[in-house]
Amino acid sequence: MPSDEGVLDRLVDWVHTTDVFKCVASWTLVPYWARRTPVKPLPGGPHPSFQHGDNVQCMMNLIMPLKVKSPIGRAEAALAIAKNKDAIYAGLNNVGTVHFARFVIVGDNICMFSVYDGDFTNYIRDFIATIGEVFNEVVKLVEGGKKVIPCEKNVEAFIQWVHEHDLYQVPDTATDFLRDQEDLKGDRAVSPVDDDLTLLPRKLVLQLRANANISLGSGYRAYPGFSVAQVRKHLKLGW
Amino acid sequence: MVDTSTAKQLVQAIIDNLEQPVPGRRPVHTIGVGVKGEFVASDVACTYCIAEHFNGKPVRVSVRFSNGLGGVNQHDGWSDVRGMATRFHISGERGSDLIATTLGEFFVRNVDDFFEFSKIAKREKYERRPWWRKVWDLLQLKIPPRNPYPDETKNVDEGALRYANRHRFAQLGIFQVGLIGAPESYARASYHAVHTFWVTAPDGVRRPVRFSWQPVAGVRNTDPKAVPRDRYLFDELRDRLQRWPARFMLMMTIGEEGDALDDPTKPWPGTRIRVVMGTLTLLKVSEDQEADGERISFNPNRLAPGIEVSNDPILEARLGAYEVSREMRGGCPFKWR
Ligand code: HEM
Repeated sequence: MPSDEGVLDRLVDWVHTTDVFKCVASWTLVPYWARRTPVKPLPGGPHPSFQHGDNVQCMMNLIMPLKVKSPIGRAEAALAIAKNKDAIYAGLNNVGTVHFARFVIVGDNICMFSVYDGDFTNYIRDFIATIGEVFNEVVKLVEGGKKVIPCEKNVEAFIQWVHEHDLYQVPDTATDFLRDQEDLKGDRAVSPVDDDLTLLPRKLVLQLRANANISLGSGYRAYPGFSVAQVRKHLKLGW
Repeated sequence: MVDTSTAKQLVQAIIDNLEQPVPGRRPVHTIGVGVKGEFVASDVACTYCIAEHFNGKPVRVSVRFSNGLGGVNQHDGWSDVRGMATRFHISGERGSDLIATTLGEFFVRNVDDFFEFSKIAKREKYERRPWWRKVWDLLQLKIPPRNPYPDETKNVDEGALRYANRHRFAQLGIFQVGLIGAPESYARASYHAVHTFWVTAPDGVRRPVRFSWQPVAGVRNTDPKAVPRDRYLFDELRDRLQRWPARFMLMMTIGEEGDALDDPTKPWPGTRIRVVMGTLTLLKVSEDQEADGERISFNPNRLAPGIEVSNDPILEARLGAYEVSREMRGGCPFKWR
């Protein structure tokens, strides 16, 4: 019986590919399963590691929601960056471990995306030391930013605040985000376990409900494993 | 030392799970095609590895592309792992083999795992899931399993899933197999050798590495929603090579301390140093498929001086298993080192 492709069967195969189904499921099934099988937000930033390759070209993806959610709020943020361009570039040169950094406005968020070498807290600490003032100007436009400025005086709180706005970085391999979920729950079981791999799609949906914005994998690198210092030295650009 | 009894059991475990035995043929990767080509190492390859085929001079190469499934029925369009076995012909009629598949990570860590997997992942009836069970899947936010292909009545999917549910180390490999699809061409897939090897540089430095082939034509799969075609890959390759050679870049990733050196189920992070070791140019589908597609026999442990195996137990097990299988099917013996 089940081998025969009937009308109902074809209907079910088709229906779940439709936008209507996805919409209805988002409003009904997703909240239902989120209640039944809650998923905690996963922390942002790179996964901790002691290995050299993992400690160069790390990513930071800061998404900071603006207080004023309108073109005016966005313009304020754009101007804050524009008028401090020299300060930012000089600061980045001084930090010296940053491969790339850019500011982007997406929706009503001011975002800072960067690729840096070394430890995250040191990176932010260096930043505060070199362009703390600029950060204050940007952060004051952001929801909840007030409590951490001036950042030079609230270094630890500021670092924590930045960390909280840094996106969760989904591991490069499909099933490894399950390991992150298990880690967060303190589940370090080894074989044999009683998992259900077919739940992966649901776990992903619920994770994306908890972490609405994420970074997909650790990204492509043309020359993985090399620090800013090594690249500049090899290219004879001075250091 | 090759443990022949284990090797025989490994091959037998594969044979036992076939629809029908395939005497005189490979029990897995049965359907394949032999191709001739040439490999030229990159400028930097010789600074990482002293093996002869990395010295920059063009090296003659024999490649066998294959569908992963065992058995004589050809189903190019089915979702399946594909193989790319390569022999670099080095001086003295010797060879250095590199066997890779489209799967990035393997699903078992050692021989015991393999036997357990073979027991659990037996061929079972595979039927279209009834509509009401698909609805139940959707209500649970699961994706219903794919419908069987025409003619597909049995497969190992259910068993492999049961195995993955028991063992987290297997989940990545088995999940990837589920999504792998069918390539538009053998020349349009990436192939990974999975295990760690050690390469020796001219200054004596030994590095743990993993190899992958990347197609210059780019990776492209067929449309999974279209009705799969059973035979197109051989003709596609023949036509393609008559028009223009197909190229692959050999990428070598260098491991770091703490990376899994002896476990093919564990990926290395994408942040590891990656070196282009050279370019393979495939020139033509061999005219003598009996010799170059069937009797030719590869072994992942056949390595030119300068490349060595790691302690990966699967790599070690393959030494004997491939020899046993070669003997059983009357494959062509080939010089070691
Ligand atoms: C315990 C693990 C494994 C066992 C027992 C096994 C067994 C075999 C056997 C018996 C053959 C046929 C050999 C012949 O008759 O020449 C074969 C072929 C093959 N295997 Fe494996 N294998 C294992 C793991 C792997 C892995 C990890 C890879 C991925 C790199 C792989 C890729 C291939 C390919 C591509 C072929 C076809 C080679 C050709 O075209 O001649 N196998 N395997």
